[in-house]
Amino acid sequence: MRRLQDIISEKPWVGWVLFLSTLVIVFLIGVFGASIVERRAETRFLFNASKPIKEFEPRNEVWGDAFPREWETYLHTIDTTFATKYGGNASIDMLERYPNLVILWAGYAFAKGYNQGRGHLHAIEDVRNSLRTGQPQPATCWTCKSPDVPRVMNKIGPAEFYKKTWADLGPEIKNPIGCADCHDPKTLNLTITRPALIEALERQGKNVKKISHQEMRSLVCAQCHVEYYFKGKEAKYLTFPWDDGITAEKIEAYYDSVEHVDFVHYLSKTPILKAQHPDWEIAQFGIHSERGVTCVDCHMPYKSEGGVKFTNHQIVSPVMYISSACQVCHRQDEQVLLKNIYDRQDKVRQLTGTAEEILVKAHIEAKTAWDNGAAEDEMKEVMTLIRHAQWRWDFVAASHGASFHAPIECARILATSIQKSEEARGLLAAILTKHGVKLPIKMPDLSTKAEAQSYLGFDIVKFTKEKAQFRKEKIPEWDKQAEEREKNYK
Amino acid sequence: MKKIISSILPPKNWRGPVIIASAVITGLFLLILRISNAFSYLSDDPRACINCHVMTTEYASWQRSSHARVAACNDCHVPQSNPISKYAFKASDGLRHSFMFTFRLEPQVIQIKEAGANVVQLNCMRCHENQLHRTYLSKTIDLEERDAGIGRFCWDCHRETPHGRVKSLSAYPYARVPVLEPAVPEWLQDLSNPK
Repeated sequence: MRRLQDIISEKPWVGWVLFLSTLVIVFLIGVFGASIVERRAETRFLFNASKPIKEFEPRNEVWGDAFPREWETYLHTIDTTFATKYGGNASIDMLERYPNLVILWAGYAFAKGYNQGRGHLHAIEDVRNSLRTGQPQPATCWTCKSPDVPRVMNKIGPAEFYKKTWADLGPEIKNPIGCADCHDPKTLNLTITRPALIEALERQGKNVKKISHQEMRSLVCAQCHVEYYFKGKEAKYLTFPWDDGITAEKIEAYYDSVEHVDFVHYLSKTPILKAQHPDWEIAQFGIHSERGVTCVDCHMPYKSEGGVKFTNHQIVSPVMYISSACQVCHRQDEQVLLKNIYDRQDKVRQLTGTAEEILVKAHIEAKTAWDNGAAEDEMKEVMTLIRHAQWRWDFVAASHGASFHAPIECARILATSIQKSEEARGLLAAILTKHGVKLPIKMPDLSTKAEAQSYLGFDIVKFTKEKAQFRKEKIPEWDKQAEEREKNYK
Repeated sequence: MKKIISSILPPKNWRGPVIIASAVITGLFLLILRISNAFSYLSDDPRACINCHVMTTEYASWQRSSHARVAACNDCHVPQSNPISKYAFKASDGLRHSFMFTFRLEPQVIQIKEAGANVVQLNCMRCHENQLHRTYLSKTIDLEERDAGIGRFCWDCHRETPHGRVKSLSAYPYARVPVLEPAVPEWLQDLSNPK
């Protein structure tokens, strides 16, 4: 075989051909590489927002421009026409429906007014209108209401935020619960924006950065739909009582150990714990959660529209769209599935009602005992029992959807509540007899909200008038300041 | 061997430039291996399939399906009978895919081809054998037989499994799928943007 060297030295053009063909090959490899890089870069544009959203952007409509489908479904949370048997998005006056609650919360603002929450879009309006707000209260009460909260917390820090009064931050909090509460504006990934949840998870030794996407689909809800309390008389630091565990008993033990009291009962003088809404906690004990189903899977199921599949942002009771929420996994008819839901809710409601009736009796009997000269010492054990019984009842009653999320856990907690109330009543019977009171104690008429409130001597007309006054004086001023501020946003 | 090498050696005074030129070609080749994540194709990692974004719809729909817990892309879309047919299939499928993608020939709705369909059907049966036991469905069929009406593919009835029925290139805007690792290594990024 002839050597290349020899060929080229004879015919130099062969060398030039080799040179040029190598040049073309290198050029083509380069172009190929550039094409790969270009196609890699496309990913960035294809799956990102059409226009960048700034960090801590609180205005939902600005996000809405970039995500029209999600935005449109989110706007449906304004709807208040869908009532299920026990919930839905209609505003239900819970005190009217269950007048016993007025007695159970005597001494606390909840006895004035308690309405079933409406959709996220109503958050600001509803909290401003509630009879429970407008009195001196910490800014901590705003924490769950608005994407303005992370914005303000970023400026002044969470500790300072909680220390302010509710009225201080009135003008700062404008936009109702929305996009920036759960989404990172850069990546749109789910994110935890409220420090209380991050702190609670970190105290349990969890690495917040390593949480899977599927877990996040529940945890973004757990920023608010959980049990919490305000730690410290001055600090009012929003804290989740999960350090010992998330069952009703574990949280009760935690509250006992920090001697937390929400209010002293007006009738029985019991230091009461008011459960907030341990929705996430109770749901963890349900079969859906145990099978890895998250909040979003049922409350924000996928929807397809014109060949595009996306998550429905109308967060509502899944009873509204059983076909996309339940039937994705369950093959039964809608009617059968609805019956399955209501069967569970009815049974838990029956137990909840029983627990309420007995607790009311215990409170009124305790009041009679005090009125007839019972001593602090005699009543100590009774009060502990009532405190625990009421906490356990409230843990279930205050948790939205608990009777469906985890009916067995609810029944278990309610059973211990009923047992504790009855135990308290047993002790009370002995105390009352000792003080010469004849049993049974006559119970007042509690058949309506008005009857129950008049038994406590409530002047509800006065509260309503005060609220109207507050609305007239404060709200227009707050709205004006908020509008001024948002004019300066770019 | 020596003879062949010596036969293509360039003239003495050309050697320097030729060494550089061949190193450039080799370097470019390595660069392409790097930016195309070439080695990921040897694995069974489903992320290898979204090196190209046209598969995002398929990835996102699979990721949210019940199959995501038990099976990844290759479990269904690549023959599992033996390693040789597995890699042969990967190579032929992969070459066609990279050709289509490079020359932007991908259709708006990607549909499975004959070879792929037959492989998927076999893989359905591989795992779901017990459910098919003693039914007429347990007979192995291929696309030709199915089109002739001799039998059915599993997904002729199970139409939503696992990718759903909405699956054009634009079906999953902002799908939350793993993003490509940057081709520039982390230490070099740190060097160029000190924190």
